Amino acid sequence: MLARNERPPRAMRYKRALALLLVPLAWVFVHAPGRPSVRAAGKDPIYVGSHACAKCHDGAGMGHQYSKWLLGRHARAYASLSLPESRQISDLSGIPGDPHDSPMCLGCHATGSDAEPWQRDAAFHTADGVQCEKCHGPGSEYMDMEVMQNREAAMMAGLMMPAKKDCMLCHYVKGSHAAVHKRPLIDVEKAWMKIAHPTPKSASPGGPAGVGKTVSLKGPKYAGVDACGACHNTAMMNRQANRWKMTAHSRAWAVLATPKAFEIAKDKGLTGAPQQTAQCLKCHATGHGQDPGRFLASARITEGVTCEACHGPGSEYMPEAVMRDRLAARKAGLVEPTAESCMGCHQNAHGKTFDAVMAMKKIAHPMKPPMATMAKTAEFSIPPSRSGYKTPRHLAVRPDGAEVWIACEASDSLIIVDVKKRLKTAEIKVGGQPHDVAFEPDGKRAFVSNRLDDSVSAIDVACRKVTATIAVGDEPHGLVVNKSGALLFVLNSASEDISVIDLEELRELRRLKASRFPWSLALSPDGRRIVATNTLSKLVPFRQPSVSELTVIDAEKGRIADRLEAPGANLLQGVDWHPSGRFALFTLNRTKNLVPMTRIHQGWTITNGLGVAWADGRVDQVLLDEPNWYFADASDVAITPDGRLAFATSQGTNRVAVVDVERLIDLLQKASLRDRAEVIPNHLGKSAEFIVNYVETPDAPRGVAVTPDGTTAFVANQLDDSLTVIDVGSRASVARIDLGGPREVTHTRWGEKLFHSANITFQRQFACASCHPDGHVDGLTYDIEADGIGINPVDNRTLRGIYDTDPFKWEGTNPSLARQCGARLAAYFTRIQPFTPEELSAVNDYTVTIPRPPNRYRAAGAELTAAQARGKLVFERTHGADGKEIPVDNRCITCHFPPYYTDRSKRDVGSKHWLDKQGIFDVPHLNNIYDSAPYLHNGIADTLEEIWTRFNPYDTHGVTNDMTKDQLNDLIEYLKTL
Amino acid sequence: MMRVIIKVSAAVLAVLTPVAAFAEATHASPRGLPYVYTKWKHFTIENGLPNNHVFAVRSNGNDLWVGTENGLALIDKRQSKVVKVWQEKDGLPFRSIAGIDVDKNTGDVWLGLFGGGLARLSGDRFDHWHQLNSGLVNDVVYDVVMEHENVWCATTAGASRFNPKTGEWAIFTEKNAPMEEIWNYAVDYDPQANKVFLAIWGSGVLEYDVATDRWQEYVDPDGEMEIDLYRDDGVNHVIVTGVTSIDGAMWVSSYFGGTRYDGRSWLGLPDIEGGLPSLFNNNVKGRSAHEAWFCSDKGAGAIVDLDPETWVQYVRDGRGGRAIVKQRLKPEDKTLTTVEVVETGVNAPHSFIVNADVEGNDVFLGTSHGLGWGVGEGYYPRLKERPLIGAAPKADVATQR
Repeated sequence: MLARNERPPRAMRYKRALALLLVPLAWVFVHAPGRPSVRAAGKDPIYVGSHACAKCHDGAGMGHQYSKWLLGRHARAYASLSLPESRQISDLSGIPGDPHDSPMCLGCHATGSDAEPWQRDAAFHTADGVQCEKCHGPGSEYMDMEVMQNREAAMMAGLMMPAKKDCMLCHYVKGSHAAVHKRPLIDVEKAWMKIAHPTPKSASPGGPAGVGKTVSLKGPKYAGVDACGACHNTAMMNRQANRWKMTAHSRAWAVLATPKAFEIAKDKGLTGAPQQTAQCLKCHATGHGQDPGRFLASARITEGVTCEACHGPGSEYMPEAVMRDRLAARKAGLVEPTAESCMGCHQNAHGKTFDAVMAMKKIAHPMKPPMATMAKTAEFSIPPSRSGYKTPRHLAVRPDGAEVWIACEASDSLIIVDVKKRLKTAEIKVGGQPHDVAFEPDGKRAFVSNRLDDSVSAIDVACRKVTATIAVGDEPHGLVVNKSGALLFVLNSASEDISVIDLEELRELRRLKASRFPWSLALSPDGRRIVATNTLSKLVPFRQPSVSELTVIDAEKGRIADRLEAPGANLLQGVDWHPSGRFALFTLNRTKNLVPMTRIHQGWTITNGLGVAWADGRVDQVLLDEPNWYFADASDVAITPDGRLAFATSQGTNRVAVVDVERLIDLLQKASLRDRAEVIPNHLGKSAEFIVNYVETPDAPRGVAVTPDGTTAFVANQLDDSLTVIDVGSRASVARIDLGGPREVTHTRWGEKLFHSANITFQRQFACASCHPDGHVDGLTYDIEADGIGINPVDNRTLRGIYDTDPFKWEGTNPSLARQCGARLAAYFTRIQPFTPEELSAVNDYTVTIPRPPNRYRAAGAELTAAQARGKLVFERTHGADGKEIPVDNRCITCHFPPYYTDRSKRDVGSKHWLDKQGIFDVPHLNNIYDSAPYLHNGIADTLEEIWTRFNPYDTHGVTNDMTKDQLNDLIEYLKTL
Repeated sequence: MMRVIIKVSAAVLAVLTPVAAFAEATHASPRGLPYVYTKWKHFTIENGLPNNHVFAVRSNGNDLWVGTENGLALIDKRQSKVVKVWQEKDGLPFRSIAGIDVDKNTGDVWLGLFGGGLARLSGDRFDHWHQLNSGLVNDVVYDVVMEHENVWCATTAGASRFNPKTGEWAIFTEKNAPMEEIWNYAVDYDPQANKVFLAIWGSGVLEYDVATDRWQEYVDPDGEMEIDLYRDDGVNHVIVTGVTSIDGAMWVSSYFGGTRYDGRSWLGLPDIEGGLPSLFNNNVKGRSAHEAWFCSDKGAGAIVDLDPETWVQYVRDGRGGRAIVKQRLKPEDKTLTTVEVVETGVNAPHSFIVNADVEGNDVFLGTSHGLGWGVGEGYYPRLKERPLIGAAPKADVATQR
């Protein structure tokens, strides 16, 4: 085997030559004006933590800068995420889970939240909230006293001196926050004054008194708050350390730096600075007066009155094993304080009365949170997912016909209804946002797709218990078991693929490529084929009509067999096979997105219908609409076992259409090929020929299924928490089965109903949800303007997590959702009377709570991969490949500023197309950007790569043309993590 | 300069070879004989191929995929018939296909497009990735291979690895691999070793260990010399055209011969002393640690055993084609001896062999004038005692060309 260094060193010769060339270049690079020496020296600055700053920046000689920070709200920014209001805000923003884990929240409530672990010193603590380095930059390279004494040198080493406008990157009015805490826009002038911490002219660096070098003594020692917080600042322990941080105890030492403290000291005849006076420190610090050998290095006087002030020095009882044994902890020194314990310091302190019982309540820090109080105000309410609603989506009848199983999205549960009794009999907790359910052929097991958790729950039908959870792709929707019962097929909408699961081993065998956002699927009667619908059209050339795919799978081999196309159609959703096996019916929309919305032609903006996918690969389309009465959002379809009738649901108009299948097929077969291709798919007058009845339902009917005996159809009413029972013989609704959700309609739930209702549009053509299925996108570019000549096409944008990303509209002219969805919506979209103010408020409240799915490329708290980390450097770079500084306004990070990765401004990035009237557009947020192709304001870029390889020829959308291909790949890998 | 050296070398060897041949006038009998493909099927534009220039061939069960200069063809092996052709008018994203691999798990077919990037055929539809819409490093893709769920592309500007599940693209060039040149000609994956092999024009062979992300390079110790000064010391030249790894053996083709490496020892495979029909080899396909098919400009050379070294050359002549069986009769022999010549009729439809694949008993040769399919009825590996099925060579005639 040959080692490289045994070869004639040709490469080395090149390298030497290159090195000679690079030396002068490197000198120029290092000495380029304005370039921080940090980078030039090849050093990456790291966050050192507030305690490192405190070493020099406190004491009278430095104007008590550190104490001032401790007394301010910035120091409690992270701890404030434990407040119930924070959870309300995150709920309002569609941020699932704990705010402490959300990059969105941490982006402004902590320092260096987007830094890599290696970019944080061991002494750095996120719990310090917004500390010095949040505004002044990571300090490792400028923190040395010699550097800091020379401002220019310090700035070259990375010190940043923020301006007032920089505060606004976090402190702009966020609707989610304003709705909860009711605070107006921050007065930055006042705030600036409030947090002012000028360095005195005769500065003399100083910090809090340290313990110094001591001999550690035997026995219990003080460990400091961080040691306690390691366990007691977790969700499991109800974030007790945060609760301490929010109390005055945490500021007990810092408060001694205030003029008031000096006054009190003076009144008491004390002459020294209070922070150095034993009489003050006795109650304003922890363990004061103890031998220095009784303190571990982690204990700091600056922490004030800490856990150990009441519970005793913790070194002996702090190990988890000891703390889990209360008796052992007591023996090791854990003190359980009483109200009496407080009196030593608080009784008559500074002439104040002290109610110990009240005080104990005030600082209570139980290990378990109190029962959640579901606050509700006139302006907002909690999202449906936390209100007790069920939101049934799809359903399946057990093979023996005895029960209907319903996947309920909001309650994360599966509800079971007895078919004969027409009663709910059980509810089983499954994963997050269950969407659909399927049975094995023998009915022994059922499977539920959990679209929030990217998993499938396997349920033992007899025991009604979840027996296994199977990881699948992103955002699973429809699922079906093949005829032999060996394979389960799961449609992963967000990753746009199909998991094939071996049901014996409950193991994913493979992923098959679907088209875009696969939704639902059905097994052919002979068990050989599965047809799967795809909600979004394939990516078509700019300004070309949609082409959506029906993915055909070989059900026994588990392979893709064919890909059928439905031209001009999108939002393909429900699908069912005719018992003859000759064809399958599927629901569809036909969106006229290429013509201005002013045109009333063949159905004005969106028509709704059924598709016929023939076994031989042909596809027909018919409309379910009537000329003045549209069938908005055809969502699901089920065919009776005898093949005579099909039931199709209209989510937007609260109806089920009963289709005479024979008449439908007859209509098609008698038509010419040209009519089938060009006339019938757009013909509003044909539905009357095959729809034999409509069945009214409560709000937002979605899933529909027919019992094996063909007598009954069940419809899941998504926003009524009920099933409608349809008697197939009489084609009429005969019962409503309540699934158990609350009867009260909250403000947000009302908004959700309005969002899914077509009552707001002319002739009930469509609803908000038509273009935003699952609150997301339909992947189309629209001509919304009333110009009538097809200019200014704009890409549809997701509604997931849009709160606080204002302004809205691609031109950035709508400062709020109320403006976006108010009269303007009526003028340009819906063409009838706008929402009333009350309705608008409700729609807005619902819209902002549409959950933002977790990022699939970086789990919360996960480290970046090597490629992502390299991409981050590219994203944040300040200099191009040639060493020249990139103008601030042309850096990625300037416009796409974390945590939303938008500075909420309008910019011209050179993306103006000849169809556009102007070239200045809103800077979009980048969260979960990977799942909302196409890109740019007009959707002209199919992929993230194309934004820069095709549509940034003059470096106007960031400096990117100097990048090598691998750098661009790294950048994209990073963008996918945001 | 290179041509001059080759000519001089050839002249010297031409003088020396008869001497060597004379020295083995008392030749021994062959130690067993190899299987010889005598039944061949041919596919050209006349029976359905979209173009006669066959750049890539991949057999997958009953499916035989053929990539040509102007389209893709699927041959149903049971029917021995071209059953489907895709050209640009049928949705094929680019006319010229230089590499094909089949994802055994999903059945999807991946195509390396010579100037057009990468394509996937799934359910009769194509997806297309290229420099502008993806992270593919270059659109000139010479070869493509599946490694687990990743797709590797050998391109003219480095290697790309694409994970269709995550959408992540990785690029391997001189920046992050010991790739002195970045012109990647071929790529292969050995599942047994869990390693990817890249054949690089000017940089030898690079081996990528999937488990450890480590690289190992194999180059020619003779540096840039156009002749192999010392045999059996490494890859015979840094300009490598093909590589294949199987059962612990790595087979390498170059425009200067072939090489085999078993992890301990190198074996140079020259033409004049050995069994290759020509020094100029476009590719190689390994069938086992003992058998590999070299694609040369003068026919196919199949080395079928190492002990004793035995080759079967499939070459054309005015009457059709012959299989020439050669063997190193005694270990000390410097040249191979022709031990059998079998008239096969037309075997490979053209002498210029571009690509090869083997599956089961059969072998498939892509040439500059169609595809040759050697039907391996009764195929056996290595050697066995069997009667001559062709003509015995004339006595005292050692291998010469």
